[in-house]
Amino acid sequence: MHISRTPIRAGLLALIAALALVAGACGDDNGGTAADAGADGDVTVGFIFVGPKDDFGYNQAAYEGSEAVAEAFPDIEVLQAENVPETAEAEAGMQNMIDQGADLIFATSFGHLEFAANMAEQNPDVVFVHQGGLKDDLELDNLGTFFGTVYEPVYTAGIAAGAASETGKVGYVYAFPIPQTLANINAFTLGAQSVNPEIETITVATGGWCDPAQQAQAAQSLIDEGVDVLTQHQDCTKTIVEAAEQAGIYSVGYHADASSLAPEGWLTGSEWDWADLYVDIVQTVIDGDFVGSAYNGDFRVGLQTGDNPFVQSTFGPAVSEETQALIDEARQSFIDGGSPFSGPVSDQGGVVVWAEGEQPTYDEVETMDFFVEGVVGSTN
Amino acid sequence: MSLPAPPRPGHGADPAPSAPVREGAEPSGPDLATTAVDAAVDAAPWWRGPALGVARWSAALGAAVVVYSAFLLARGADPVLALTAMWDSALGNPTGFGETLVRTAPLLLAALAVVVPARAGLFNIGGEGQVLLGAIGAGWMAFRLGDSLPGGFTIVLVALAGAAAGLAWAAVPALLRLLTGTSEAISSLLLNYVAGFLLTWLVFSPWKDPSSLGQAYSQRLDPNASLPVLWSRVHIGIIVALVAAGAVWFLLNRTTWGFRLSVVGGNSEAARRAGFRVSALAVVAMLVGGALAGLAGVVEVTGVEGRLRPDMMAGFGYIGFLASWLSRHHPLKAVAASFALAAIAVGGFGLKISTGLSGAAVNVLMALVLLAVLGFAQRKEAT
Amino acid sequence: MIEQVLYGAVRGGTSLLFPVLGETIAERAGVINLGTEGSMLAGALTAYIVGVQTGSVWLGALAGAGAGASLALVHAFMVLTRGANQIATGLVVTFLGIGLTALFGQEWVGVGVNGFGAVAIPVLSQIPVVGRVLFDQDPLTYLSLLAAPAIWWLLFRSRAGLRLRAAGERPDVLLAHGGSPTLVRYVAVVAGGALAGLGGAQLSTAFTRDWSEGMTVGRGFVAVALVIFAAWNPLRAIGGAYLFSGAIALQLQLQARGWELSPYLLQAAPYLLVIAVLAVLSRRRAHQAPEALAKVF
Repeated sequence: MHISRTPIRAGLLALIAALALVAGACGDDNGGTAADAGADGDVTVGFIFVGPKDDFGYNQAAYEGSEAVAEAFPDIEVLQAENVPETAEAEAGMQNMIDQGADLIFATSFGHLEFAANMAEQNPDVVFVHQGGLKDDLELDNLGTFFGTVYEPVYTAGIAAGAASETGKVGYVYAFPIPQTLANINAFTLGAQSVNPEIETITVATGGWCDPAQQAQAAQSLIDEGVDVLTQHQDCTKTIVEAAEQAGIYSVGYHADASSLAPEGWLTGSEWDWADLYVDIVQTVIDGDFVGSAYNGDFRVGLQTGDNPFVQSTFGPAVSEETQALIDEARQSFIDGGSPFSGPVSDQGGVVVWAEGEQPTYDEVETMDFFVEGVVGSTN
Repeated sequence: MSLPAPPRPGHGADPAPSAPVREGAEPSGPDLATTAVDAAVDAAPWWRGPALGVARWSAALGAAVVVYSAFLLARGADPVLALTAMWDSALGNPTGFGETLVRTAPLLLAALAVVVPARAGLFNIGGEGQVLLGAIGAGWMAFRLGDSLPGGFTIVLVALAGAAAGLAWAAVPALLRLLTGTSEAISSLLLNYVAGFLLTWLVFSPWKDPSSLGQAYSQRLDPNASLPVLWSRVHIGIIVALVAAGAVWFLLNRTTWGFRLSVVGGNSEAARRAGFRVSALAVVAMLVGGALAGLAGVVEVTGVEGRLRPDMMAGFGYIGFLASWLSRHHPLKAVAASFALAAIAVGGFGLKISTGLSGAAVNVLMALVLLAVLGFAQRKEAT
Repeated sequence: MIEQVLYGAVRGGTSLLFPVLGETIAERAGVINLGTEGSMLAGALTAYIVGVQTGSVWLGALAGAGAGASLALVHAFMVLTRGANQIATGLVVTFLGIGLTALFGQEWVGVGVNGFGAVAIPVLSQIPVVGRVLFDQDPLTYLSLLAAPAIWWLLFRSRAGLRLRAAGERPDVLLAHGGSPTLVRYVAVVAGGALAGLGGAQLSTAFTRDWSEGMTVGRGFVAVALVIFAAWNPLRAIGGAYLFSGAIALQLQLQARGWELSPYLLQAAPYLLVIAVLAVLSRRRAHQAPEALAKVF
């Protein structure tokens, strides 16, 4: 199979020529430089998402937030990039946006934090806000994090689950044991146990944010274990809601309102509404007020502050008036300064983590690394 | 596949082949006659020469771009805008160009990891897993050493550990092939998934950074284990990769080992009759490939990521496989092939922003370029 | 627990069984197709779109088979007509499938489909254990269980099968008898792709009722490995497909029972299992492989 060498060399030339051909078509349209945001009236805001922007879940919610920004500020340019992995590629992606004139970048996935922080250090003229992480003691004038208290509506959804469950077993399908997920599973369990102390939450990890085949199989294994409520922390959420409905059990949603998929078994869920918060962050940056503002730190909102971007989904037919009253009661206690993790809370081994009268700080919740008593599963 | 150099008879060194000169031909002397015959055979008529090569390649690649544009159009995107944006973000400015170089380094090493076994007729589709093992090995050594040794020593030991880990991962399919006859293509492919789970487990459990505030990644590598930066984000890994390409070229084309390897790849029966230890040669080729893939993981973790992360280097091994085929397993041409595929991959970012299309859509362009080249750019060959 | 694992093995195994059967046909004719992964994705997306658009999941499954066949046709053309390398082309075709489905599947994520549901077969589904495992499944699963013996009959008992196997074993003999190995191989590869597409259709419209980018996560590659495990025999393919998905079902079942084992290490187990089984069987399999196939392996 002797191949003449010449055509190959020629081929590489041709390949480069083909690329050059494309270059010929390109104009020099580099936008303004990354000057002070708003100073030149030519504002560009970039958003990076870790998954597809229409995943019916986390990324779609963030994407819709970015669309709300575009709508609220018709004059600014909004750059969006989906499927930006949580690797150094994220830095390259943000650099690309800066080259296109971005003044403000929303890094919307938990794992984008380190890259946003690096870029903030290298680009003092560009503001970076990160969704979900804690910047800890990193003091930069152009970096901040923000998030809602995810676990509040998850706790109240747990109340609905605990009230609905007859077997005393509820199932939780999750991707990876990151603190956000562990806090959710724990809040859900504590909420369910608040109405039925015997509730067990059985957990199964799929090892992927969106792997429907594993999800379907995982849902099946939980159903076989006798759970009669299924919930999840996955980025794409349809499979599990459908599996629950097919099996004739209850489902609790996450990220998105999937009540239409499960007219019988839908209890409730939690979903994002980022629009107001995103718009306010953009406005703050445009006004030149970012430095020293709440957004320049670890900004957290919840029921107590009255503007949690994470809200309760609609209730399904199986949630009784009585249960809804319990949920309202719990919500009121959070508004009044309580927490889903108000002690006593013990871990799987029965060791008390927060004693009676104690409750964790935001930081403690967001670095949670254990399962509470009543959860079946491993955090490894 | 280009023929190995050593056995090629020197021009005019042996007059015998030029003996059947037509009777009555000008007595031009054996040397000249040989040259003429060689030239006639080598160059062939013009329409089979370079001109045709350029035409074929241009047509094939042009067709790939046209088909790709048609797909983009069908999806409602403006292909000119999309391709322009791809060009801009990959090659059109210094940062983009730098990014493409940064990506070329691991892809070239992953491509070389396919080139060497291919010379022996083996398919290494396990690059995806071997690069991860390279990163894991590098991480392991870097965490062990910390800052205990001077920088130069650290980085060399880290690189060796990464290469060794890649080699060990490649040893599994190589030995399975040797001992049980299991197809190395299949077993190396399946091992890619195992490597992914192994990395995930490491960064979520034993190697998780205790100060990560919940982020799933390993501790940061010590600065001693970081590759020096050339400019902005471009690190010395690209030079490592280029040197590796040169070394592989020398190994394959200028050493007896390389020659034997191509005999094994060309006709293993003949190689056996010639007394070569065919299995040993093949296994070593696979191991060298694994070590090269391991180095790809090393340059990425020490030059770019700085830590181990669950999603790192996704697809690098497969794209390296494609780059090797794009270059017809020629180590030097693999440089250009890796650069081209790196540019397409990096260009995906511009595509995403400008058109809102899925970034994975660049896979279509890569696939079309490969189809064009595998099927149309060369003269048909038998498999 | 055994019943649960078996049930999970069958439920999750159908999307593997179809591509294993398809690849068996292609390899019996002497062509290895790593593009199976791409064909599955194409089938999964197309079945989903057509299922949503027309409201008929059966039309969707048909279209999924068609899409899988189309990508396989690309593979067949490249390797049979253009003489390109089979392994490399297969991987490229998979890249094409991943890219195209990402490109065209984007707007279908999160759209609901009225997919295949389980249809319990009267009487039979009442049998203990076996009833639930085999006779309370979705229609495509029944189809796959019927397809396996049908393909076995076709390959080993029919004239067409004889010609097909001749193309894979002794193409020269087929040629001498006036047959065209190339044509036979075309048919086999395209039919194989159609079955892979059907497997994808089962994945998206029956098993998960969802479409998401890259949702096959390597099942097509696993299928190619399982063909060797099954010794190019459609009946043994059933065992191969269920072995792999049974291993997945088992690891999830163990998690649900609170095993203190890392889920990631458990998830690697099905892949390791296949490698181990191949290693044990390979010596024997070497003689069972279609002869012409040996040239590309």
